[in-house]
Amino acid sequence: MRIRTLEMGVGLFLLGGLLALLLLSLRVSGLSVSNADTYKLYAYFDNIAGLTVRSKVTMAGVTIGKVTAIDLDRDTYTGRVTLEIQNDVNILPVDSTASILTAGLLGEKYIGISVGGEEEVLGNGDTIRDTQSSLVLEDLIGKFLLNSVNKE
Amino acid sequence: MRKRSITERIRLLGRAGLDVVAALGRSTLFLVHALFGRSELRNGFNLLVRQLYFVGVLSLAIVVVSGIFIGMVLALQGYNILTNYGSEQAVGQMIALTLLRELGPVVTALLFAGRAGSALTAEIGNMKSTEQLSSLEMIGVDPLKYIIAPRLWAGFISLPLLTLIFNVVGIWGGAMVAVDWLGVYEGSFWANMQNSVDFHSDVFNGIVKSLVFALVVTWIAVFQGYDCEPTSEGISRATTRTVVYASLAVLGLDFILTALMFGDF
Amino acid sequence: MSASNAYAVELKGVTFTRGERAIFDNVDIAIPRGKVTAIMGPSGCGKTTLLRLVAAQLMPTAGEVWVAGQNLPSLSRSELFDMRKQMGVLFQSGALFTDLDVFENVAFPLRVHTRLPEEMIRDIVLMKLQAVGLRGAVELMPDELSGGMKRRVALARAIALDPQILMYDEPFAGQDPIAMGVLVRLIRLLNDALGITSIVVSHDLAETASIADYIYVIGDGQVLGHGVPGELMESDNPRIRQFMQGAADGPVPFHFPAPAYVDDLLGGADA
Repeated sequence: MRIRTLEMGVGLFLLGGLLALLLLSLRVSGLSVSNADTYKLYAYFDNIAGLTVRSKVTMAGVTIGKVTAIDLDRDTYTGRVTLEIQNDVNILPVDSTASILTAGLLGEKYIGISVGGEEEVLGNGDTIRDTQSSLVLEDLIGKFLLNSVNKE
Repeated sequence: MRKRSITERIRLLGRAGLDVVAALGRSTLFLVHALFGRSELRNGFNLLVRQLYFVGVLSLAIVVVSGIFIGMVLALQGYNILTNYGSEQAVGQMIALTLLRELGPVVTALLFAGRAGSALTAEIGNMKSTEQLSSLEMIGVDPLKYIIAPRLWAGFISLPLLTLIFNVVGIWGGAMVAVDWLGVYEGSFWANMQNSVDFHSDVFNGIVKSLVFALVVTWIAVFQGYDCEPTSEGISRATTRTVVYASLAVLGLDFILTALMFGDF
Repeated sequence: MSASNAYAVELKGVTFTRGERAIFDNVDIAIPRGKVTAIMGPSGCGKTTLLRLVAAQLMPTAGEVWVAGQNLPSLSRSELFDMRKQMGVLFQSGALFTDLDVFENVAFPLRVHTRLPEEMIRDIVLMKLQAVGLRGAVELMPDELSGGMKRRVALARAIALDPQILMYDEPFAGQDPIAMGVLVRLIRLLNDALGITSIVVSHDLAETASIADYIYVIGDGQVLGHGVPGELMESDNPRIRQFMQGAADGPVPFHFPAPAYVDDLLGGADA
């Protein structure tokens, strides 16, 4: 009979471990069971400064996807950002704008998408033409100083 | 009492260095033999289940209790700091990331070394000193297969599972404190967590870490028992060594693994 | 170079060193088949090491160990494990598996090496336990047994597979007179009834001399002498005589080697 409780203990332990894995993957990391319900978009930025893989992609403040890759486009010398957008948001007009924004003054960078007016919508593998690069504090200060010098 | 000349000291130092290298080689051969040598044991599975019980199930209590408390403390500390920046909703994300990436694997491995590792060393050392290992050999059973291998496998399997359970319990404890007690809004607590935790880079990497720790801790524990001097003094020294070496190995390896996984190079 | 048939175990020119200390230096020992042979000598002279050499748990630094016509150092690890099925060892502490009861301890070798049905294993185990007089203790755990009973159970386990050679490591150490008497009787009985070759390693003079057919006395890494018990008692080798008669001082000095007593006492003042 002792063997039996021992086996049951081990069985419960294994089940507990697997349940924990399940909880961690679904509840904590928000892993969706299938990855098929997203589609890819590309966007080129002059400066992606501070944007990282796994940054959020939002629209009107609502998260609709994430950044999955960032690389340098060798022909145009711009940063190419790959976005993965949820399939149920397949209504982005082709002239939508992607801009790199900052959450708060010093917070993390994310991509905000503002809607365009065209009827045609972006599909898998399309590129967002209209982009606005990251706001770089140093550039801004530089411009401001230049302006004040010019005025004098 | 006796004074040692300089040359003798250098000689002793060299001897110590050679001893370390020899022990390393001996323990590697030992591991390879135990895991990959031929085995004709018919009841191997029963032996494994038995060891899973002793190594895994019996460590569950300490892991669960520590997990709850560590999660609760993280929530309290995190909340106090994050309120200063007005971002107390991020407490969920902080708890989850700290536990999954660092505290879960490391603390569980340390607890495991203390609870199961020392017990393994003492048990095997005791078998050695009462000549049970020799007597197995004489019966024609390889003690590496019959005694060591099931314990090694049980350690490998148990520690990652214990780590997962530790993480879940810790996050649950943290959620309890943050949401029910400190009044963080439940929706943003979980939403923030899910947004920032990535399955591959956080959950999966944590499991990889705990697999590495499991290998190292069980290996050290079992080898120290097998290699100890078969006297009661030798066993107690070996048990201490298990806890010290295993803890140091876990912390050192954790740095290396973290650098490899999360460092940008 | 084959082992002669009259001997079950032969050590030829065996040297064994541990660290820089030679425990055996070019030792020749031949153990006659079917007899009780005792290996005697003062503590720390390597008697247990000798058993481990015969059991191939240790390998000699040089020389040959022939058991049942095979030279042990030349065998592979798995051949050794097969070889050991023909040998039984009774360890000093008994070495029962503490997590198994008496029945399972005795059944263990049978379960590992045979595919006998459960009833047959049960019969064999009860027979072996009957032989050592402990059939009634079949359900006890090892920690419920006295030291002498543990050794008897271990003996039952050692003979479970009907070995050719049975080795006893200090069977009499730390036993009360009754338990000693029982063990002496059992060793003799098993040897004669089963035709086993017995090797008894011991320093208990009276008991060992009473059962041994032949005695080897070893010390300082050498065989000091061998012969039947009566012969050795009368030996004119002073070292053997000292051991066999239990004298405190003799060729083996009472004092550990030290500088001269007077020098040591006076020299202490300078330090």
